[in-house]
Amino acid sequence: MRNILIIDDNDIVQLVLKKILAKEGYSVDIAINGKEGLARIGQQPYDLIITDLMMPYANGFEIISKIRQHPMGKDTPIIIISAITNEDSVLEGFKLGANDYLKKPITGRELIIRVKRLIDAQVSRAENI
Amino acid sequence: MDQFNYAAEQLGFWGNLARFYQSGVFVYGTTLLILYALLALLSFLAIRAYMRKNDFVHYENMLGSPLTPGISVLAPAYNEGLSIIQNVRSLLTLNYPRFEIVLINDGSTDNSLGQMIAEFELVLVDYAYTVKIRSQRIRGVYKSRNPAYSRLLVIDKVNGKSKADATNAGINVASYDYFVCTDVDCILDKDTLLKLIKPVIEEPKKRVIATGATLRAANSCDIEEGVVTRMRPPKSLLPRFQEVEYIRAFILGKMGWSYLNCVPNVSGGLGLFDKEIAIKAGGYDAQSFGEDMELMTRMCRFAYDNHVAYAIRYIPETLCWTEVPSTVKIFMRQRTRWARGLAQLMFAHRGMMFNPRYGKFGWIVMPYNFFFELIAPLVELTGIIYYLVQICRGTINTDYALILLCFVYLYSVMITTISILWDQMVLRSYKTTKEVMLLCLTPFLEFLLYHPINVLFSIRGYYYFLTGKKHSWGNMQRRGFGNKPVAKNVAV
Amino acid sequence: MWQDFNSYLLEYPSLDAAIYYFINLPLVIQIACVFIVIAFLATLFAYGSILVRRFKGGRRDRRMSVIIPRIDTLLTEHIILNEGLSENIPIDQIQLPLEEFRIPLLRSRFGKQMLIDRIVSYKKSFTGSIGALLRQLYLELELDKVSFKKMKSPKWNRKVQGMIELTDMDMSISDVNILPLTNSKNRELRAEARNAYIKLSKNEPFKFFDIVTEPLLMWDQIELFKTITTTEEISIPNFARWVTYSSNKSIVSFCLKLIVHYNQQDAAPAVMRLLENKDHVLRANAINCLGKLRYEEAEDKLVSIYSNQPLNCQIEILKALGRIDTGGHVLFLRQEFLHSSDFDIRKNAAKSLIKTTGVSQDLIRELIDTGTAENKLILKHCMNPLIKF
Repeated sequence: MRNILIIDDNDIVQLVLKKILAKEGYSVDIAINGKEGLARIGQQPYDLIITDLMMPYANGFEIISKIRQHPMGKDTPIIIISAITNEDSVLEGFKLGANDYLKKPITGRELIIRVKRLIDAQVSRAENI
Repeated sequence: MDQFNYAAEQLGFWGNLARFYQSGVFVYGTTLLILYALLALLSFLAIRAYMRKNDFVHYENMLGSPLTPGISVLAPAYNEGLSIIQNVRSLLTLNYPRFEIVLINDGSTDNSLGQMIAEFELVLVDYAYTVKIRSQRIRGVYKSRNPAYSRLLVIDKVNGKSKADATNAGINVASYDYFVCTDVDCILDKDTLLKLIKPVIEEPKKRVIATGATLRAANSCDIEEGVVTRMRPPKSLLPRFQEVEYIRAFILGKMGWSYLNCVPNVSGGLGLFDKEIAIKAGGYDAQSFGEDMELMTRMCRFAYDNHVAYAIRYIPETLCWTEVPSTVKIFMRQRTRWARGLAQLMFAHRGMMFNPRYGKFGWIVMPYNFFFELIAPLVELTGIIYYLVQICRGTINTDYALILLCFVYLYSVMITTISILWDQMVLRSYKTTKEVMLLCLTPFLEFLLYHPINVLFSIRGYYYFLTGKKHSWGNMQRRGFGNKPVAKNVAV
Repeated sequence: MWQDFNSYLLEYPSLDAAIYYFINLPLVIQIACVFIVIAFLATLFAYGSILVRRFKGGRRDRRMSVIIPRIDTLLTEHIILNEGLSENIPIDQIQLPLEEFRIPLLRSRFGKQMLIDRIVSYKKSFTGSIGALLRQLYLELELDKVSFKKMKSPKWNRKVQGMIELTDMDMSISDVNILPLTNSKNRELRAEARNAYIKLSKNEPFKFFDIVTEPLLMWDQIELFKTITTTEEISIPNFARWVTYSSNKSIVSFCLKLIVHYNQQDAAPAVMRLLENKDHVLRANAINCLGKLRYEEAEDKLVSIYSNQPLNCQIEILKALGRIDTGGHVLFLRQEFLHSSDFDIRKNAAKSLIKTTGVSQDLIRELIDTGTAENKLILKHCMNPLIKF
């Protein structure tokens, strides 16, 4: 079973994403802010991380940067889901190592496809090593 | 008329002076009380208008729009040591699409700069800028190699002995058209920038040159890594008095003035300014002791002189928490400085008083600040001395004096309680009703304990202004919000 | 004082004594006594208001903490995880279990409003088929009637609330309901009505651009921009029309931004004509637009008018040259960089020079080597990828 970590302080996003992904057969953990997210990454490996950008305690960009520096997070695919849609922020996200950037509002089906694609790619990479 | 002259002759010089003085004080007092009642009413209208307008605001539209104006957040820092990293990190989490954090290291003698360079992966860059406002020399400009911190810009400069000088350096380097001036240890609400810029972009006819919001005491709040998780009125008496005073000054005072577009001052703790006007008005004055109000006055003066129809708007929401002085010594220094700054300002801009060229500012703001802020402590002190003398001489009806005193006392309690009520209208601040009701008891003591020392310290400030004594800034000896776990409140 | 009062008491019954005593006090003291009573009562009233407000707020919080999780459970179970969605059944054929939503908890006005708010919040985060199903639910539960009713309220903020709910849920509002509001005296109501009209009107959403005479505030522009660029079935006209014919400067300026967003290259000639406009702010906006459109034909014209322009337009021209990037005016940029007395001009000229792809590295190196200390600094600043401006 594949593990997904969602880092978002919005309760609706947490709830709905968890339900949608759980229905597809993924095991989903929620972190309500970046600090908690990093703590969880340290505890177990994840196959995918979905994160928001504007959260308390530490902004999303910093979180992504720290995830990429963490031994257990440096190869994990990251999807950003955010209401911030200006070009600079999107580019910044990719520069920091995110694999995908979804702008709110998102569609459930698109999310599932992108999640599946990234996890499958990661799995096949791992298998080829 | 003859009767009047006869009576006047009978009284003699001192008698007439006494009568004149008494009538003066009477008129003064009555005007002040009426003004407060008026402010209470106006602030109610302003708050109600604001709450209605912002009930349904979609801030997320601003987040996703390419049209949202950019803001530079200027944060001067001096020997903040303990908490600089956390403060900068929490500034970086502000919810806004286009902004930069300009941290001005004002020649700190501790290791703040070194800590920041290490934590945020900073490197020295060749930064080209023009000096639009004079300030002490900038030694270096730093940017981060890590894209996560691309919004951060750190300036290292020679100490200018004032926050004004540091902010000026920041203005020189800032890239956006608006800047927010704040203290680095102030805790800002995450939507601060969104809320402060809104009055600027929705003002129909005038140019908004500054916006401000309510400040509060952070002393007993639960703070976890730069976020206020629970608001609490300060437990200690002195900070508690200040909290009540801030509520009254911002919610009642500034909101009321904002309704008339007569706001005299945007607090240095948190304020958004139009950079172009600030620069053209000359930037902050490093010699001033009340640099925030002084810049505001100069910006208004510039606007009038150049026929710019301007507005200064206030937001009743609390967007900033700051640690207020908790010892009498530090409090004394602060209030002396403020009083001195006010005296300095009034003197420097006395040409604006009653000058028709300066419209509302000359006819309402300046006179109000002169009569009811500047000389108020003097009137009070002389009034008390006068009445004590009269009581000793037995020439006063002590019962009447007591009734009057009782009246003024209850009136001040009423006004303060009303401002607490207005504050509850904006946000149900504080978690328990018990906390609010205990806060409501504070005005009873305020009049007897806090107000007199305020008067004394203000007069001390005026004395220093007149004698030109050198002021020692000192360090506010912050306890720092530190890295204490939430379970333990910050000790006050 | 009490002796005086007592003397009255001896003569008259107590109430009369009090009245006579009071009447004989000096006026000032009389006023003070009255105001003492007023202040006392007002303070008590304030305490009462605070208590009531907090009690009501606390009660609301408690109710919300019960209702919201319930609504969330219902929404996630029946909408998000709806079977029909995953089987790709068309939205209007999906049978929604409405009885699940018609519970007592959601029958009160408060409950219905919480449900509307929550559905709107969900719809803001999720679009596509989930969004459509949420809308279907909103309709079938007749919550749109609740929102419509708000529009009939005399209070302007209720009207706006209703309109916002309807537009967020993509409900169509007939013109006869919106159009009168677009002429309302209340500015916020007018702006929201305009916004709603553009989003929901089937006919001519942009006819407002023809008739609005008041300046379009930046806030309104942000809202309108969002509405225009996110509404799905809107037909985007060529905004050059208003650039040429509108007398409302804010509309022209707004249309320039829309032209950039939709990359309407065929609007560029109309924008070029704005370069003759007397208003220097509008000219600067037009130059900015041409630069972002990367309209190559504009380059020569911009350089030819450069010397007659005020500072802000000159800076925009330099920026535009850097964006258009044909490499045809490298010498001009170099000239401005070396010889202008204004710092901002030199900085922007340098930036555009460095940005121009055709520029040889030798040229840049030569400028660095032979330049003054300040010019060296400017060049290094512009070349540094860490510095954005």
